[in-house]
Amino acid sequence: MANPSTDTPRKKRWGFVMESDRCIDCQACMVACSVENNVPIGKHRNWINHKESGIFPNLNQTFMPENCHHCNNAPCERVCPTGATYHRDDGLVLVDYDKCIGCKYCMMACPYDARYVDEEKAAVDKCTFCVHRLDVGQPPACVETCIGRARHFGDLNDPNSKVSMLLATHDHYQLYEEAGTESAIYYIRSK
Amino acid sequence: MEHDVHFHWNMLIVIYLFTAGVSAGAFVISGLATYLGGTRYKRISRIGALIAPWPLMLGLFVLIFDLTKPFQFWWLFLTIQWTSPMSIGTWLLTAFSILSMLYFILWIPRPWRDLLRVPHSTADIFQPRQWRLMTREMVGISRRVIAAIGFPIGLGVGMYTGILLGAIPARPLWNTPMVAQLFLFSAMSSGVATVLLIAAFTPPKDGHDHLLHERHFLVTVDTVLIVLEIFVIIPFFLHQSLNTWSSAESMSLIMGGPFTLVFWVGVVLVGLLIPLAIEGFELFPVIWKEAAVKYSRLWGGLSAVMVLIGGFLLRYVLVYAGQMSHFLPMLER
Repeated sequence: MANPSTDTPRKKRWGFVMESDRCIDCQACMVACSVENNVPIGKHRNWINHKESGIFPNLNQTFMPENCHHCNNAPCERVCPTGATYHRDDGLVLVDYDKCIGCKYCMMACPYDARYVDEEKAAVDKCTFCVHRLDVGQPPACVETCIGRARHFGDLNDPNSKVSMLLATHDHYQLYEEAGTESAIYYIRSK
Repeated sequence: MEHDVHFHWNMLIVIYLFTAGVSAGAFVISGLATYLGGTRYKRISRIGALIAPWPLMLGLFVLIFDLTKPFQFWWLFLTIQWTSPMSIGTWLLTAFSILSMLYFILWIPRPWRDLLRVPHSTADIFQPRQWRLMTREMVGISRRVIAAIGFPIGLGVGMYTGILLGAIPARPLWNTPMVAQLFLFSAMSSGVATVLLIAAFTPPKDGHDHLLHERHFLVTVDTVLIVLEIFVIIPFFLHQSLNTWSSAESMSLIMGGPFTLVFWVGVVLVGLLIPLAIEGFELFPVIWKEAAVKYSRLWGGLSAVMVLIGGFLLRYVLVYAGQMSHFLPMLER
């Protein structure tokens, strides 16, 4: 096994850390995403789950912002018959819209239901972590717009990044870990 | 999103999965009849061979229009993605289409058979006018060779339609090896039923006895297949119900959920139990007193039609209900 810290330049692994306690379900991230990425009306690349818990009268509702998990072991990439869904070196799972024939097998395979059909592109589309912004050094639109700072974005492989520090100091979990997807989205447990 | 129900795969997929199964089943029963029966079941071999390529062609044609880029379907043929069941299936279906087409040509009856000519010597290859009719032996050997190569590929196609669904962890209803087995047996049964139906309504020239032999063979095979299907559905239920919470919950789609009636009445009763009863009744004299199989065109035709309806509904239920099944939302952790 090569030692990544000395042998090779360390690979990036972009990822999210979501702080449920800071999310107020204002849905600004959804609007920002739709505007930034020209998402077709009625489709969304990100969304907010509601989770109810407790027994009356002590009820609690938790908001969990979500988008494509850019899984390390991505079921969508595995089943794609043309190789249109691919992995970039920095861990991004992206769709080559020209190669996609729209068989929708990836939409069946995604446990997070993160994908949708873009009729105009005649291809399946999803969150790209705003790759066009990342490549010029900007954070994804949903992160920049989040008024409660519930969405944190950064390099999970960099121990000094904000996301790594949050994970080091907070109790956290992932969605559908049992599916073996190795998601790049972490949730900080609600207090 | 937020796990709303969207049926991204619709009736076109159901039709495709069903027709691919009928084709595979027709080819396999034809191959089986060729090996087991020789000239005795020649009509079964011929009927199976003559219908095998066509349902699949219809299914593939329909399938193309489910794509968002229908006219780019051929991009599937530019690559092999080893981890994608659909990519492997594409190549499997290609091989099957070619083989079933060849097999079809070899079984064409006269007078069209006379169009089938082969070069007699290497010198003749570039002079098609010198080509001669295939001899009876050549035709026989070719049929058996194609049947032998196509037999496992036909079984593979029947199984592939189930693996396509089963290879996806995100849909608990599909994610079990039982789906592939169920689809395989159901595909074979649908193919046999199609042959049965056509055989019943195109009586042979050489009389009643012949028909009874054929019928005995086809009904026996179909009975075995139906029993196998029942013995896949039982462990399917037990395993899913005793599995993880997500799998157990997915069973509620056909146990009280929206697909309960169509599954239990359409698939199990109409598609399996009633045809099994009819076929059992037809086979009863054979089992009981070594007499000929009972034959009634009405009941035989009815059971074949019911098997086909059941096979179609099985795919309908699994395609639609499967898309409603999902990992359960997270509980408080």
